Amino acid sequence: MKRRRFIKAVAAAPAVPALLSPLSAQQPPATQQPSTVPKASPEPTPAATGRGGFGRGGSAASVPRIPLVEADEAANTVARYFSPAQFAALRKLAGILVPPMKGNLGALDTDAVEFLDFLISSSPADQQQIYKNGLDALNASAKRQFGRPFADLETAQADTILKPLLVPVAWAYDPPKDPVKHFIYQAHQDIRTATRNSLDASRAQANLGRRNFATTGLYWNPIDPV
Amino acid sequence: MPKKEYDVLIIGSGHSGGMAASVLTKKGISCLMLNAGPEADYEKDRVTKAAHELPYRGFNKPGRLPHVYQANEFNANQWVDEKENPYTYDPAKPYNWVRVRLLGGRSLFWARQSFRLSDFEFKAADIDGTGENWPISLVDLAPYYSQVEGIFRVVGRKEGWPQFPDGNFVEQTYGPDSQTIQKVTELCKARNIGVSKMRSAQGQSGLASSVNLLLPDAVATGKLDIVSNAIVREISMDRKTGRANGAHFVDRHSKREMHVKARVVVVAAGCLESTRLLMNSGIANSSGVLGHYLHDQIYGVSVVASVPEARDGRAKPGQMGGSAFIPRFRNLSKADKRNFIKGYCMIIGSGGGANPNFFAAYGEELQSKLDSYAGSCVSGSIYGERVARFENHVRINKDVKDAWGIPVLHVDVKDSDNELNMAKDSANTMEELFHAAGWEVLSKTDKFYPPGYSIHEVGTARMGNNPKTSVLNKWNQSHDIKNLFVVDGASFVTCGWQNPTMTILALSMRASEYLSDEMKKGNV
Repeated sequence: MKRRRFIKAVAAAPAVPALLSPLSAQQPPATQQPSTVPKASPEPTPAATGRGGFGRGGSAASVPRIPLVEADEAANTVARYFSPAQFAALRKLAGILVPPMKGNLGALDTDAVEFLDFLISSSPADQQQIYKNGLDALNASAKRQFGRPFADLETAQADTILKPLLVPVAWAYDPPKDPVKHFIYQAHQDIRTATRNSLDASRAQANLGRRNFATTGLYWNPIDPV
Repeated sequence: MPKKEYDVLIIGSGHSGGMAASVLTKKGISCLMLNAGPEADYEKDRVTKAAHELPYRGFNKPGRLPHVYQANEFNANQWVDEKENPYTYDPAKPYNWVRVRLLGGRSLFWARQSFRLSDFEFKAADIDGTGENWPISLVDLAPYYSQVEGIFRVVGRKEGWPQFPDGNFVEQTYGPDSQTIQKVTELCKARNIGVSKMRSAQGQSGLASSVNLLLPDAVATGKLDIVSNAIVREISMDRKTGRANGAHFVDRHSKREMHVKARVVVVAAGCLESTRLLMNSGIANSSGVLGHYLHDQIYGVSVVASVPEARDGRAKPGQMGGSAFIPRFRNLSKADKRNFIKGYCMIIGSGGGANPNFFAAYGEELQSKLDSYAGSCVSGSIYGERVARFENHVRINKDVKDAWGIPVLHVDVKDSDNELNMAKDSANTMEELFHAAGWEVLSKTDKFYPPGYSIHEVGTARMGNNPKTSVLNKWNQSHDIKNLFVVDGASFVTCGWQNPTMTILALSMRASEYLSDEMKKGNV
C-alpha cells in the first residue's frame, strides 16, 4: 500500500536524465545526439538577461507547483531506539490494545509501532524511561509467569498480565502513580493516536467513504520565524 | 533626523491595547503601537492538513511548549516559543504561562465567553471578610461594559441576578432545552441554584479580536502607527520631571536597539509581560506591591455521567444535546458557610461520548463500551476563582535572559486550601446532581491544572485608592508616574470566576477616555 503512489508516479514520469545531472544537461554526450532537438525559446529567461538570479525569476503564476508525495508514501520508518526485546513487546502490546475493528485498521496494519519508536526516541528522558521500564516490566512478568518474552505469549496469556494493569483515568494530568500502570495508560493512548493519525488509517477511512475529521485540522505555519 | 514624537505610546496590541488605540485615536490623539511579534496573514499562514502530514503525526514535537497544555501540533506555531522566551519557577510550584505575541495577541484565540464582574467581586472584601475591595464598583464600569458588549456583539440571556449582571446583549431566541438540560435545571432549582445560558461574543465572522474589531477603526483615523516585531525592553524616563518619555525596544529579527518618544505611555502587554516591563524598567513600585497578588482561575475539575435511556443509540429526539451555564451560587450570603470563600461557575454539556480513558478495557471490549455510551453523556466542568494573595508573586530573575537579552520573570505561586476545598465542593456538587438525575457517573475528578492554565492571569499591578497598597489608581494610572497607564489584567484586584476579557476591555476604555480628558486639560 505504502509505495503504490510512488511507483505509479515513477512509471508515469518521463525519462529526464538532464534532471539527474546538471553536467549532462549542459554538455550532451558527443557520441550520442538526440534524434530530435527542441527549438530554443525565443523569450529570454530572467536569468539569461542577467537581471534574475536564483529566486528572482518567474512570477507566482508562471512557476508550476510540482506535486510531491509524503515520505510515508514512499518509505518505511526505521525503528532503532528500543532494544529488539522492547520493540517486540511493544508490537505485541499494540496488536492487543488496538486490533483491527469495524473496518478500522489495527495498530499493526499501520506503522504505529515504528512511529512510536521514533517519537519516544525524540521525547524527554522521563517519557523514555516510562516506556523502557514499562516494556521491560512486561517482559519480566511474561518470563516469570510463562517462561517466555511478552512478544511470544498467546493473547490469553498476555491478557492475564495486562488486565490488572489497566485503571480508569478521570483526568489526563492525573495518570496512575504505579509506573507500569502509567506506562500501559500512556502507551494505550499513544498507540491509538499513532494508529488513527497514520496515513494508512486515513487512506483506509477514505476507501470506506469516511472522512476522518478527528485527524484533520487547521495548521498554523511558522509565522515570520526568527 | 529627529523622529516624530507621538502623543501616546501603546505597548501591546491585544484587547486592552487595541481598545486604548481605538478610543484615543478617535479623539484625535496620535498613537504609536509596539507589538512584540509579527502580524499573521490568515490566508497564507493557515492551511488545512491531516495529522499524518505533520512531522510528529499530531503528537506535537516532544518537549516543545511543555507549559502550554492547549498546544497541539496544528496550533504550535501560534504560541510563544518557550526556549526564546523562558521563565522560571520552583519545580514544586509549577506555573503555566501561556503567551501569544502575534499582532492582536491572545485576542486572536480566546474562547469568547463574555461576562461582567459583579459587586461580589468588586466589593469582595466586604463579602469574604478578607482581601481588598476594588476602588470601583459595577456602577462605575457598567456604561463601559455596555459599549464593549455592543462592539463585541455579546449574546446572552438576561436573568436579573446580582452575581451575574445582565448586559447590552444581542437579542437571541433560545429554543427549548433538551430533556437532560431541563433535568439539570429542575434539580438546580430545587437546590436554589440558578441556571442560565452561556454569554458569548459573536464578533465578526467568528473572530472577536483586537485585529478585526478595534484596530481597523483606529488605523482608519490616520492617527495610529503600528510597529511589529518590537520587543520593548524598558520604559524610558525623564529624570528631571519623573515622567515616562518613551521606550527602548529591540527588533525581533536583527536585535537592533531602538528608542521611541511619547508624551504618555500606555502599557497593555498582558498582565505578566506588563509587570515584567515595569520591573525591568525599575519604575512604578513605590508601594512594593508590583508583582504581587498574581491569581487566575482553577480549571480541570470535571464529572462525566451517562444517561442510561440514551445508551446504545436509544436517545430520543430532544433528549440529549445543548448546554447549561450555572453562574456562581456559593457564598452569596453570609449565611452560606463553606470551608472556602468566593465561588465557581459550572458548565454542563449534554450529548457527547465517553473518553476511552474512563474504562479499564482495550480492544473490542473498549470499542464496545465506547459505542454503547456514544451520545449518551453529560459532562460538567467549572471555572473557580483563585484568591489573590500577596505571597503569590513574580520577580525578575537576572540570571536568565530571553533571546533578546532581557531578564525573565520568576513566578512564585502556590494554591491554598481555599482552592482545594472549592474544587472538592464543585466536583461533589456535580456528582450529586448527576446521581439525583439517575445518571451513571463514569468519571469524577476534583484535580485541577496548575496556576496560569486558564490564561486568565491577573493582578501584579493592582489598582486601589491607597498608593501604599496598590500600583495603580482607579483610572489604571500609576500612582508614581502620572503619564503611565497599565490597562490590561494586571490592574485587577480580584478575578472572579468570570472570563476577564470584558472587564479588561471596559477598564481600558474607561482609562483611555479619562486619559484623553486629562490630556486635553493639560493634566497629563
